[in-house]
Amino acid sequence: MSAPLSKSRALACRFFSFRTVLKNNGRVTVSCPVAMKARGHNSSQKGYSSSTSPTSQKAAAAEASPLSEDVADVDVAAKSLQHHDYFGVRDLVTVRDMFKARVHFGHKEGLRDPYMAPYLFGNRLGIDIIDLDQTLTLFQDALNFTAHIAYRGGIILFLSRHRQTMPWVERTALEVNEYSHCRFWKGGTFTNATIQFGTVTRLPDLCIFLHTQNNAFLPHAAITDSAKLLIPTVGIVDSNCDPRLITYPIPGNDDTPVTVQYYCNLFKKAILAGKKKRRLDGLEQD
Amino acid sequence: MAGHMGRIRHVVLTNQTLLSNWRVIVSDVLPGQLHYTCTSQADSPKSSKAFNKSTPTKAEKISKAMKAYMERAQAHDEMLKKETADYEIGKRHLANIMGLDPDHMTDQDVKESIRYLLPSGLYDPASRPMMKPPQKVFPKRKDAQFGMDGRPFHAFFYTGKPQFYELLYKITWKLEALKKEEDKLLQVGALFHEIEEKAKKLPLHENEWISYDTLKAMVMEEISQQDYGQFLKLMTRFIEHPLAHKEAKYIMKFRQRLNRQSFGDKIKPLKTDKDGRSFMTAEGHRKSAVAAVTVRGHGSGQVTINGLDLEYFTLNMHREQIMFPIQFVNMLGDIDIESQVSGGGPSSQAGAIRLGLARALTSFVSPDIVEKMRLAGLLTRDPRRKERKKPGQAKARKKFTWKKR
Repeated sequence: MSAPLSKSRALACRFFSFRTVLKNNGRVTVSCPVAMKARGHNSSQKGYSSSTSPTSQKAAAAEASPLSEDVADVDVAAKSLQHHDYFGVRDLVTVRDMFKARVHFGHKEGLRDPYMAPYLFGNRLGIDIIDLDQTLTLFQDALNFTAHIAYRGGIILFLSRHRQTMPWVERTALEVNEYSHCRFWKGGTFTNATIQFGTVTRLPDLCIFLHTQNNAFLPHAAITDSAKLLIPTVGIVDSNCDPRLITYPIPGNDDTPVTVQYYCNLFKKAILAGKKKRRLDGLEQD
Repeated sequence: MAGHMGRIRHVVLTNQTLLSNWRVIVSDVLPGQLHYTCTSQADSPKSSKAFNKSTPTKAEKISKAMKAYMERAQAHDEMLKKETADYEIGKRHLANIMGLDPDHMTDQDVKESIRYLLPSGLYDPASRPMMKPPQKVFPKRKDAQFGMDGRPFHAFFYTGKPQFYELLYKITWKLEALKKEEDKLLQVGALFHEIEEKAKKLPLHENEWISYDTLKAMVMEEISQQDYGQFLKLMTRFIEHPLAHKEAKYIMKFRQRLNRQSFGDKIKPLKTDKDGRSFMTAEGHRKSAVAAVTVRGHGSGQVTINGLDLEYFTLNMHREQIMFPIQFVNMLGDIDIESQVSGGGPSSQAGAIRLGLARALTSFVSPDIVEKMRLAGLLTRDPRRKERKKPGQAKARKKFTWKKR
């Protein structure tokens, strides 16, 4: 996967993705940090935002359209993947800011989800404290990924079922010209979209969960739906949440309004940075 | 999305791959490279080779849907155009028949002409012959939800009720703005003044919230009764804020006129006597007692009944009956009362004076207090009369002693 393919070879490839995966005997890199830790891996080690190699990306893209302009665009977009921090979003997060925004506060020990244990620094006076050093890298990865999605004109859907902070989430979505769903989740929104919306609908390319749980303290149904439909998810996971199905989990407090506003601000900056680069690089098609 | 704008790659997934990778997704590939609806074709890799090029990709499907919508919209617009042309010609014919000016014919003229030419005795107005401009007859159609690239226009599209939730969003943020302003005024100490303004600028006694059907028609969406309840809760919260009158114009959009009995009985304007004092006269009845009451403003709380003081009534409860309307409107000691009463007994006379007094007081107070008086039962003539005695019974209801045998 690291060896660059020649253009002719790229054109010869038919489809990238799971067929290639099959060719590689099912070897797939894992994005879940817990599993990665088990394999002695660190997502930020390699230094690029997504685990996709730029060359395979190129291969697929080049095969897709024989038109020269598309290939040129592909080169431009592929360039963004070779940069460690193409949008400059990794500097937006600092441990000090997160501490001030009370990101480290988890719930009480009894409410702890066992899968969140690796992300916790410890427990003080009965309250679980989230490890901000881990959150830092995970947050940076998530913001970078978000910016890349925005860079490529993807649909971003903000989700939250926290009634107190929901207006802020909706407002953030409006400010960045993206979408939000902070209401009761109808079962078939993703899985039965064609019938529910009456026509073939384009589903989101990224789901950002400001709150991973619904009002019954159960995981939001959209997490499993996104996983089913291969929609990547970014989610703020508190100490009582289940991080397993989320592609880019961000361990952090999700109950304090100040903290949620801090997250919304960061996501907004990341998306706007991605969109700005999109315009500057000439990828915007009217 | 994956570098070549808008074109989404179709990917064949076998059941095997899904199972093996079900937890470990989108790690290798950028999301845009995957098809959104995972159509699992045959199990063998062979079928993936024989990839059917005629099955459309998601992007192509979306643009097809858009094209279909555009065609339907065009057809609808053409139909409306034709109908409008027919309507205009019909209007001219009608003007010709009725002898009106065809160029300056209003919709009201059309309505009256049709009513004259085609009179109908049917009760339901919707069943009678009518001639309306086609825009009013044909239902308004919902516009396209998304553009050619598949991106929906509305930020709340995925909720299924974008317009309704946008409405709730707007109200929420207006309320937040009011809260901020309230904080500023509290610091300065000017909040009290604003609260006084509220009663004047936000008249809520003459109207009520719009009905469920009206709201549904307003947002043009299928909303449930629970949604309507949520809307009412939010709006009630909104108007309860001390600075709600600043958004009076916006609030009035969601209020409809109330059909109330108070509007039936018009409140009479105050008269002035030669001393410059305002006064009002009214009558009251109870059983067979009749009272004529005169209320004078700028008074000191004097009461005259048939030339006597309140001591005309011996019992306290009769005196309290007369005091009740004045105490209700907080005018104890502000007005003088003169009354002539005849007929009935003490209780009936007290009731008659009370009714006459309340009716006279309606001219002294604002309409929302009149409504409150009506709700308190002060303005209702007590219709009770003595029930007749029936044969076979001792009194109206009392029966003779029942004997078993």
